[in-house]
Amino acid sequence: MRTRRNLLFGLAALPILAACGGEAAPAAPAAKAEPTKAPAAPAPAAPTTAPAAAAAPTKAPEPTVAAKVLKVGLVTDVGKVDDKSFNESAWNGAKAGAAAIKGESKYVETRDPNDYKKNIQQFVSEKYDVIVTVGFLLGDATIEAAKANPTIKFIGVDQFQEKPVENLAGLIFEEDKAGFMVGVLSALVSKSGKVGAVLATDVVPPVWRFGEGFRAGVKFAKADADLQIVYHSDVGPEKTFDDPEWGKATALSMADKGVDVIFGAGGKTGNGALYGVAERKDKGVLAIGVDTDQYLTVPEAKAVLLSSGMKIIDQGVSDLIKAVSDGKFKGGNVNGKVGLAPFHDLDSKVSAEIKTKLETIRKDLDAGTLKTNVKPAKG
Amino acid sequence: MTRGRFAFIIGCIGLLIGGAEVLRSPDVSASIVAASMLATMLRFATPLTLGALAGLLCERSGVANIAIEGMMLSAAFGAFLGAAVTKSLLIGVLAGMAVGVAMATLHAWLSVSLRVDQIVSGTVINIMAAGITGFLSTEVVRRQALVGAGLLPALRIPVLADLPVVGPVFQQQPIAWMALLLVPLTHLVIFHTPWGLRLRSVGELPRAAHAAGISVIRTRYTAVMIGGAIAGIGGAYFTLESVPAFEPLMTNGRGFIALAALIFGGWTPAGAWAASLLFGAANALHINAQQFGIPVPAQIVGMFPYLLTIVILAGVIGRVSPPAAVGTPYEAD
Amino acid sequence: MTQAVRARLIGGLIPSLAIVTALLIGGVIIWASGPRIDGPWFGIWFVVEAYQALIEGAFGSRAATIDTVLRMVPYVFTGLAVMVGFRGGMFNIGAEGQLAVGALASAWVGFTVTSLPLVIHLPLVLLTGCLAGAIWGGIAGLLKARTGAHEVITTIMLNYVGGQLAAYLLNGVLRDRSPLNVIAQTPKVAETARLPDLVPGLHSGVILVIGVAVLVWFVLWKTTTGFELRMVGINPDAASYAGVNVVRRMTWAMGVSGMLAGLAGAVQVAGVNYRSTLGFNVGYGFDSIAIALLGRNTVSGVVLSSILFAALRTGATKLQFRTQISTDIISVIQALVLLMIAADQIIRWIYRIGPAQTEADPVAASTAPVADSESGR
Repeated sequence: MRTRRNLLFGLAALPILAACGGEAAPAAPAAKAEPTKAPAAPAPAAPTTAPAAAAAPTKAPEPTVAAKVLKVGLVTDVGKVDDKSFNESAWNGAKAGAAAIKGESKYVETRDPNDYKKNIQQFVSEKYDVIVTVGFLLGDATIEAAKANPTIKFIGVDQFQEKPVENLAGLIFEEDKAGFMVGVLSALVSKSGKVGAVLATDVVPPVWRFGEGFRAGVKFAKADADLQIVYHSDVGPEKTFDDPEWGKATALSMADKGVDVIFGAGGKTGNGALYGVAERKDKGVLAIGVDTDQYLTVPEAKAVLLSSGMKIIDQGVSDLIKAVSDGKFKGGNVNGKVGLAPFHDLDSKVSAEIKTKLETIRKDLDAGTLKTNVKPAKG
Repeated sequence: MTRGRFAFIIGCIGLLIGGAEVLRSPDVSASIVAASMLATMLRFATPLTLGALAGLLCERSGVANIAIEGMMLSAAFGAFLGAAVTKSLLIGVLAGMAVGVAMATLHAWLSVSLRVDQIVSGTVINIMAAGITGFLSTEVVRRQALVGAGLLPALRIPVLADLPVVGPVFQQQPIAWMALLLVPLTHLVIFHTPWGLRLRSVGELPRAAHAAGISVIRTRYTAVMIGGAIAGIGGAYFTLESVPAFEPLMTNGRGFIALAALIFGGWTPAGAWAASLLFGAANALHINAQQFGIPVPAQIVGMFPYLLTIVILAGVIGRVSPPAAVGTPYEAD
Repeated sequence: MTQAVRARLIGGLIPSLAIVTALLIGGVIIWASGPRIDGPWFGIWFVVEAYQALIEGAFGSRAATIDTVLRMVPYVFTGLAVMVGFRGGMFNIGAEGQLAVGALASAWVGFTVTSLPLVIHLPLVLLTGCLAGAIWGGIAGLLKARTGAHEVITTIMLNYVGGQLAAYLLNGVLRDRSPLNVIAQTPKVAETARLPDLVPGLHSGVILVIGVAVLVWFVLWKTTTGFELRMVGINPDAASYAGVNVVRRMTWAMGVSGMLAGLAGAVQVAGVNYRSTLGFNVGYGFDSIAIALLGRNTVSGVVLSSILFAALRTGATKLQFRTQISTDIISVIQALVLLMIAADQIIRWIYRIGPAQTEADPVAASTAPVADSESGR
């Protein structure tokens, strides 16, 4: 039975795969070397480096590789798998990972936060080998499912593991570092000395970490910069990511006051900011995207998009899936890559000096000699 | 009474714009802040004004409309689809209007012809709009990788657009202009034309209107459908004037704020417009306060339009009351 | 066949036909979005597979059935809430907000009070939820009775206010301050504030639901208060003539309605989540209206429609798992059901059923169609 869907999914996956495989971030993306440095974990006493005694590789890898087709299931956070945002990014990773190991992949979208457990259970009862859950809100449900089903491998995107479970990898990102890099870039590129960030609600920790990282980065690079940070916390959590109109209006409001670099982060609300900046192209305002290289996902803003503060979810997920197939999967926290996206058409706006500086900062951040001092969540 | 409230609302807006004076910083002059807040206010007010006018026509004829949200959402989708397929923004706007009219016709058919409870009919439309646009945006737009046709360009009035402070008023996109135009137009039609008189009589005393030879059914259908067209323009604002893409549920409750504006404005076009501006100004103030580093309790700001509406409905400041026949289906004898 | 019997038969037939018709139309939409003509049987199997998955997902296993029942519980409470409002002539669109404040209040009592035994603490938690919901709904009732402010508008507005209030409190004074928590939610409630499990995974709120349903039926149809309430709902002027205090009954109807919705929130806190989380109430407002209408504003009808809606929502996961189509299809089906229930002329026309007896009174036809069939009078 030929389905249009499979064909289209395949096509859609191609450019995205190419994007994460091919292009390297300009500022040395080698974050992996670092052994799971918890992002200023609440309990710093246990840096969770002990990846569970039961050495994973010895765990009968042969039958897995030879006989069986691995099945990968993905549960989204409330929202859709085609949300042009973190759900979509994770799903692209799941598809890519499954394709690389010649497995199959399916998703279930969550409509109602009361359904996390049930949706995970769907894949458990169908005997899936790998289950990816997307978003920190699914953390508790994922831990519970992982403990109950030790033979299934779980990947929790954005889920920090306090007490590592052997079959559960928390793919976490240091958004504050990405935000910091973006902040430094903004402050150095800005001509007016005014930079801004348009963000979804500060109640959601990854968004907040991006915002505070941005703040720290701007202040680090240019202590006297005029910094404007606006959160969309005046609507409920179910609305805050879906309000491109608000994002655009806010970005325009900043541009009116001479802000010439604007960082937009938070689903479609953040994308709205990019659209807004695109409208002020003639004034020389620049935009910075988030999560993925938004030069590719928001083509309408290509002309003004300087870079994106990336947390590369898709590659992180697909790498973990490949690790399952290779028998190298380990529980605990796995730090995904964060960094700057390429400058693309606006490469000329960034001087060699700035590039060098960014590189240095990147290294210092990775080495830990430079700290963002951002807490994991708004207190 | 209406005039008093109108003045009150305009006063509020003046106050908010005056906040600009407080917000200005050493290197951003008050006039720039004020101009910016004015622009933001107008931007937010556009879909609210259109939604409120749509609801107004409907309710003035005696048909309650809690489906402004559903009509705008489906029109936003229709407008996007029309523009994306034909690559013509004009056709997009027309498609949005057509979808708005279609949803309105369903509302009229259910609540006028079949005499279904009007709130139930509105509920059906809201649920259906969310479901269908969500389904189609996944199964059609995303799967066919449809791309929008861009945004409607701003139309500026040469000299006036360069004025300080009020400049933004004179450089707006077509749908925003249309909203500004429709306010006096709706006022004229409702209060100064024979059709408007018929409309109001049908909404207040349908039996008397019927006795005077007015077709209650036809008048209601017309009013609801024109309202649908206006809601359609309001929907098109989201995908053709604000952002060049359709996102599921992107109207984000603005249809209900429009309903609040309509009530707050006492079921008059000028009042509804003023209320939309006020709600827009509240949004602008919230954004600007954050920009200048002033902490605001965001959730309390978010409650503001809704609380005000309850307060005014309860008659604490200036009582408003709906057209008498709203909610009652009309049966010919 | 007497008229009464016939009316009752048709009363039961029309919802069933509406459901079948909605599922058929939904089937066409599923078909259109699936693999088409090139499959065997023109792709019809895709639709069969989809619906089979839906049913299996809702009732196919013990776990699935428990999920469906768990989801049914808040639906019954909120459905009854809307129904009580309808019966008293009040249209409560505010179940969503009432549920939110109910959950907030009960969670607050659940985690701040820690030294009471279960037999006192648990009822206290549930009653607090009831009280908060009753106040939230009662505001709308009082405003309607005193100032004429339409309850539809005030409850819509109160939904938003309730949502924002929840966000404010959950990020503020009610927030779980444990360093591990990064979410806007309350701490977990004490053990003594939790509904014990009936069987593993299924809390005893199910029994409470049955009890409350019977109680609502009894009050509405077997007591003077209930009789007066229904009278106000059918014809407030006549009720007023007959000496009923209409103002008080309207407030009462909205208060009780809000109370039931608040209880739904409390039971979710005490039985399922053990805490109040931001945004868990979204969607219940409109679903509960649909449930009350589909159940023709009778207690048994509300229970049956709750099962249907719970099954649709629960089964949707498996439907999507098997077919990978958007679960928005479920919303479309629900809207279609509601459409055809509200405008039963459509069903009567399609299936050539005679016009309703109550044709003359359309408001009653939509909101209180088989009036008094449960009373046996």
